[in-house]
Amino acid sequence: MIKEERILLRNAGKINPMSIEDYIGAGGYRGLEKALGMEPVEVIDELLEAGLRGRGGAGFSTGMKQRFTSESCLRCPQRYVVVNADEGEPGTYKDRVIMEQDPHLYLEGTIIAAHAIRASKGYIYIRGEYQESIDKTRKAVNEAYKKGFLGKNILGSGFDFDIGIKLGAGSYLCGEELTMLESLEGKRGTPRIKPPFPAEKGVFNMPTLVNNVETLANATRILEKGREWYRETGTDTSPGTKIFTISGQVNKPGYYELPLGVSLRQLIELAGGMRGNMQFKAALLGGAAGTFVDASMLDEEMSYDNLRDKGATLGSGAVIVFSREDSITNTLVNCLRFFKHESCGKCIPCRAGTAHLEISARKLKSTANDKQKLLASMIRESELMAATSLCPLGQSPVLPLKSAARYFKDELYGILTE
Amino acid sequence: MSIQKIIRQFEPEQHNLLNILHALQNSSSGNYLSKEAMEETARYLGLTKASVYGVATYYTMFSLKPRGRFIIRICVSPVCELMKVDIIIKQIESILDIKVGETSSDRLFTLELSECLGQCQKAPSMMVNDRVYKCLGKDSIKEIIEKYRQKAKLN
Amino acid sequence: MDKTISLYIDGKKISVKSGLNLLQAAKENSIDIPHLCYHKKLSPTGACRLCIVKIKGQKGLIASCTVRAEDGMEVTAFDEELEEARKYLLDYLLSEHDESRDATYRDEFRELVLRYGLGEKKNRKFAPIWKHIGYPKDNSSPVLTYDAAKCIKCFRCIKACDEVQGKNVLSFTKRGIASYITGGFEKWSESECDGCGECIQLCPTGAIVEKPHRGEINFEKEHKKVRTTCPYCGVGCQLELIVQDGRIVRANGAEGVSPNDGRLCVKGRFGCDYVNHPERLKVPLIKKGGRFVEAGWDEALDLVADKFNETIKKHGKKALAGYASAKTTNEDNYLFMKFIRTVFGNNNVDYCTRLCHASTVTAMLRSLGDGAGSNSIEDYENSDCILVTGNNMTETHPVTATFVKHAAQRKGARIIIIDPKWTPLVKESHIWLQPGLGTDVALLNGMIRVIIEEDLIDRRFIKKRVKGGMQALDELRALTAKYTPEYVEKVCGVPADLMQKAARIYAGARRPLIATGMGYSQQLTGTHNVFCLINMMLISGQIGRKGAGINPPRGQNNVQGVSDVGASPFTYPGYVPVGDDENRRKIAGIWGVPYEELDPEKGLSTIEIMQAAYRGEIRAMYIMGENPMLTDPNLNHTEEAIKKLDFLVVQDIFHTETTALADVVLPATSFAESEGTFVNSDRRVLRVRRAVDPPGQARQDWEIIAEIAEKMGRPLGKYRSESEIWDEIARTSPIFAGISYDRLEEKGIQWPCTSSEHPGTSTLFEEKFNTPDGLGRLHPVDYAEQSEKSGSEYPYILNTGRILYQYHSSTMSRRNSSLNQFANEAYVLVHPEDAKKQGLSDKMKVDISSRRGTVRSVAVKISTDVLEGELFMPFHYAEAPVNRLTRDELDPYSKIAPFKLSAVRLEAAK
Repeated sequence: MIKEERILLRNAGKINPMSIEDYIGAGGYRGLEKALGMEPVEVIDELLEAGLRGRGGAGFSTGMKQRFTSESCLRCPQRYVVVNADEGEPGTYKDRVIMEQDPHLYLEGTIIAAHAIRASKGYIYIRGEYQESIDKTRKAVNEAYKKGFLGKNILGSGFDFDIGIKLGAGSYLCGEELTMLESLEGKRGTPRIKPPFPAEKGVFNMPTLVNNVETLANATRILEKGREWYRETGTDTSPGTKIFTISGQVNKPGYYELPLGVSLRQLIELAGGMRGNMQFKAALLGGAAGTFVDASMLDEEMSYDNLRDKGATLGSGAVIVFSREDSITNTLVNCLRFFKHESCGKCIPCRAGTAHLEISARKLKSTANDKQKLLASMIRESELMAATSLCPLGQSPVLPLKSAARYFKDELYGILTE
Repeated sequence: MSIQKIIRQFEPEQHNLLNILHALQNSSSGNYLSKEAMEETARYLGLTKASVYGVATYYTMFSLKPRGRFIIRICVSPVCELMKVDIIIKQIESILDIKVGETSSDRLFTLELSECLGQCQKAPSMMVNDRVYKCLGKDSIKEIIEKYRQKAKLN
Repeated sequence: MDKTISLYIDGKKISVKSGLNLLQAAKENSIDIPHLCYHKKLSPTGACRLCIVKIKGQKGLIASCTVRAEDGMEVTAFDEELEEARKYLLDYLLSEHDESRDATYRDEFRELVLRYGLGEKKNRKFAPIWKHIGYPKDNSSPVLTYDAAKCIKCFRCIKACDEVQGKNVLSFTKRGIASYITGGFEKWSESECDGCGECIQLCPTGAIVEKPHRGEINFEKEHKKVRTTCPYCGVGCQLELIVQDGRIVRANGAEGVSPNDGRLCVKGRFGCDYVNHPERLKVPLIKKGGRFVEAGWDEALDLVADKFNETIKKHGKKALAGYASAKTTNEDNYLFMKFIRTVFGNNNVDYCTRLCHASTVTAMLRSLGDGAGSNSIEDYENSDCILVTGNNMTETHPVTATFVKHAAQRKGARIIIIDPKWTPLVKESHIWLQPGLGTDVALLNGMIRVIIEEDLIDRRFIKKRVKGGMQALDELRALTAKYTPEYVEKVCGVPADLMQKAARIYAGARRPLIATGMGYSQQLTGTHNVFCLINMMLISGQIGRKGAGINPPRGQNNVQGVSDVGASPFTYPGYVPVGDDENRRKIAGIWGVPYEELDPEKGLSTIEIMQAAYRGEIRAMYIMGENPMLTDPNLNHTEEAIKKLDFLVVQDIFHTETTALADVVLPATSFAESEGTFVNSDRRVLRVRRAVDPPGQARQDWEIIAEIAEKMGRPLGKYRSESEIWDEIARTSPIFAGISYDRLEEKGIQWPCTSSEHPGTSTLFEEKFNTPDGLGRLHPVDYAEQSEKSGSEYPYILNTGRILYQYHSSTMSRRNSSLNQFANEAYVLVHPEDAKKQGLSDKMKVDISSRRGTVRSVAVKISTDVLEGELFMPFHYAEAPVNRLTRDELDPYSKIAPFKLSAVRLEAAK
């Protein structure tokens, strides 16, 4: 059986997350010290060479993102770092674990990122429901100020950086980076037209780097230990580890930090195997905006690229495990209900499309006839929504819907229900 | 604290709007945003009323109607559903004699549904105001509600 | 930037100027890609998704409104996949849409539904769900209704309000399928909406519709559209009147033309009902035995002619005078002026400009050689600093204010406001200086001192363009030396650092504009105030290029034009002084009158005419479209003066406080029944066109004037049309020489326009000033304390002014129920501290008295908009005639009266 590799979470459960001394004692803020001794462009190069990819779900190169941001609009008076801590993908809580167990880890990464792109101001946008994360981050920020890791002339380097905490208030969509910026500015969480990307016009129309909590935690480690060390873990195209959050019908649901490229089977084993005598039926990877897989995928390498090639997604690293007794239909319906609830209403395909999908989904659960036709039209609608929607939310329903149909058509048609 | 005092803890910048609304809601006895609170906020930030109202109605954590002292937010996302949260909801409804979205007659509890609370390792879960409760079962629900009733009696 | 690019849409090559978005590029080449949320005036929204296209080399379907058209792009706008997607999108929209409709608006959504064959329900995929959602309907606004079930959530209204009007009153509310648009907290009437109706104009369905005339409008019936110019303030907005059954049923802003590009304010859109008001004057009236009796035109005009002739015979030529009108056309006023000069034989012709911008114009004429605004209204949008002095433009020139707001909100311009009273524009301002009433000269001298001391002056400009060059500057330096920040703070109550900051921003700006209003002009030191502004502008070199200069927005639709065409006691058409022999000789030739008969002596100005009447020197008056009994200062005195006249003729469209005192009342046409031109605040000559027939026997002013002259035996000439009068105006005034009606057909032309090829002039003074030597002049002036002060007997200083919903003496505006629903009661603003001292509460009635008179029973509004010790009252309300309190003491240069400053006291109403 594989073992966890706690690169990011090495302090989890071992230090007092509320104590900056503990964190420093465990080697904290060395990455920052190193970074401040480097030119900003060298820091970006380091991340680029390390091959770090964003852990928010899309898997875009973090170094590239930072480079774009640092190079755009050189006349702009201000650039920003925004930490995406608006974790809301169902089944996902990896960022919460970092924020609750080791908040300085990502705060350090944030300051490193700010130095890399020469930002003097940043915001951490935390989901409003994550009270413990909010409290711990607040405390971490205060202590970091006291110790001179934030504020003016950080560690005597001449680099200034201030950070503020912004609270979300119940909107999944605000986890989408451009929508988050709208929300951060005190507006409704509706997506902006892309392009421009945040790197060009982000918060307050200034160049902005939006990075996920876990991504920034990785940045801390890369700076602390170097890119070669980092590349020793994971696959070539997806180096490093990923915090998987596994839930559902396993014996030990929880978070597991593993190199990218582990298989689903290995992960389930690590989580104590299937609960009781249950038999594996399916997993939903990446949350509601993710894909169902069946047993045929158990041994596939879980990396960004391989899963994409197999028509699945790694997304946020959420893995929800279902047994033979569980209903895929129910979960699918729940996902579609969720999208309707979270649609902002700005563009018509998502606004009305999610509503109609939910109505149809309820029919899937009923004894209605001709579910074959119903499902076909739902898939057609979801494809159309994906093709025409303004932002990723409207593009999401197609993922669980099509993958469920791919593997569990009979169940959805009502043929296999016992 | 008065509405004005709460608002004035923040700089008068629009980007503070959500934080201000949180602060106002948390300090209101009915756990909600009154018209007066929204009006004051608009004035302070130099926004129109609709700009504040549009935001307040968009985010699910804000309520424009008075609620109970304790807001129960119960997670209904796929994992909690898989772990039979529907039974827990029915149980709470019966203990408090309310339906989802309603406030108990003693004005202590309001029952709301929530999207994923990120506690899937110990589903089903819920929050009561700021606190998270996990691995919910019939007994724990009773205990939790009783605890809050006692708390209310004390002050 | 004006490069042309070529691209291919569905294989067809099109060429457009670069910088357009793809949808607009297609539109301009008549390729009709379906769309609903996009509107040329608004930033792209990307909500309706209908304008999706495919672009070679790019992934997926792309909303064409959100991408720039690039050279060489290969675009697919129509194929099976795109058309199917569009059909889906329309189908989705239909499912959340209440399709019931009436024929009162163009329904762009419905047009697309039909185009895609979705008119029939059987062709649709989705069942209607809108009924289950419970969309609300908001009927609370006085002027409009919003029905969320008819709304397609295109955001055009939200953006119209925000991006076009700069108000941002509307928001999207709730989310997902349940979302819709809201004003305020779901109650439009309690929102900040001021009723401009921009949202109505841009709504593509029937979701937002106006209330007035709902029952009458039916576009399936015959109707016509008439382009004309708004009859309210001096912005000169271009209107499109919709006329059905001989009545105006709707007014829209004309899109794509200056100055308003479709924008209107509440008065322009909802203020035309007075045209059709039952109280319109329809027949000539003669006062017999103290009562008005209807008369025929001949009887009335014979009487007028006889009485005028009799007065000339008995008391001489100088015993007659006339008030021209800032509301009527150039053609009417030109003939009126010609009438006074040739028939009365004197120069006693003036009008309300003397009560508004006379001091501004005087100062500008003396310093710069022209009294009109030096720039264009749209220049505000690209200015980087706008200095707004005594000018509540959001209310008085709402559409101009939209350009200013745009500059502040979207382009980072810094607005500096000098005003003792809060105005809505303060919200957009960078700095608000609040000097005590009447201390502006000290404040500006302080700012000038800062500019000189900190060497923010423009030496090159001073040497090249200012008479006396650096020597003149030295004089100014010497005079302003004592206006140290500390001294200025003491006199004006303005914090020294704010004043200094304002001076630095203004002097350092690249394209600063000054917008100066009544707050500066209507003072005893009105001319001095503007001298100071000009001094500051000249030494910092902030005039003489596009986007830099000084602009007095004119209060009424045609104040500018009336002066331009010479209805002034001091100047002939085109601002030639009456004393200019050569000009009089030229004019005499054009008019066909002996040169000797044209009086070379200046005439009496507005207030002087009343003062002369009071003294018995003026015995007969001809008043066209003015209401001095409400608008002149010191009304008690005015009333006595008018009552002393032997004979008074008033020509108007309604009875007014002044017609009541007339001997003969003549019914004239309103703007909607008139042909002619107005000149707006940025010197733009704009056409006025007849949309409806005059009521009863009412006739256009110039026809009445011409007939009186005829009957007096001194005909003015034969004119077959307004266009012929205009051609004569063009001959008499060089500034209009190149303008004819033909050229005005599509859009206005800004004077000076000296030949038929000349394009008009958007910016004045680019090369030189209009003074004889072409140089600007500094006029250093000292601050002097106001002659009227508050004291124990009259402890408050009263300020007066206008509000958005009413206009001038409100004879027009108050005959619109929509406008009255917004504001139909006089009030006085009182600072909370003063209210406390006096024991006043909101809505309580007070009597207000000055040394000159009393106004009774005015409602108190407690407000921090005014400074402690100062009050404010609008002057529109006949039942609370604030000018019973004001003075007729005059600014020595311009003869303007100090409406803005009267010492008063307050008492609970008796």
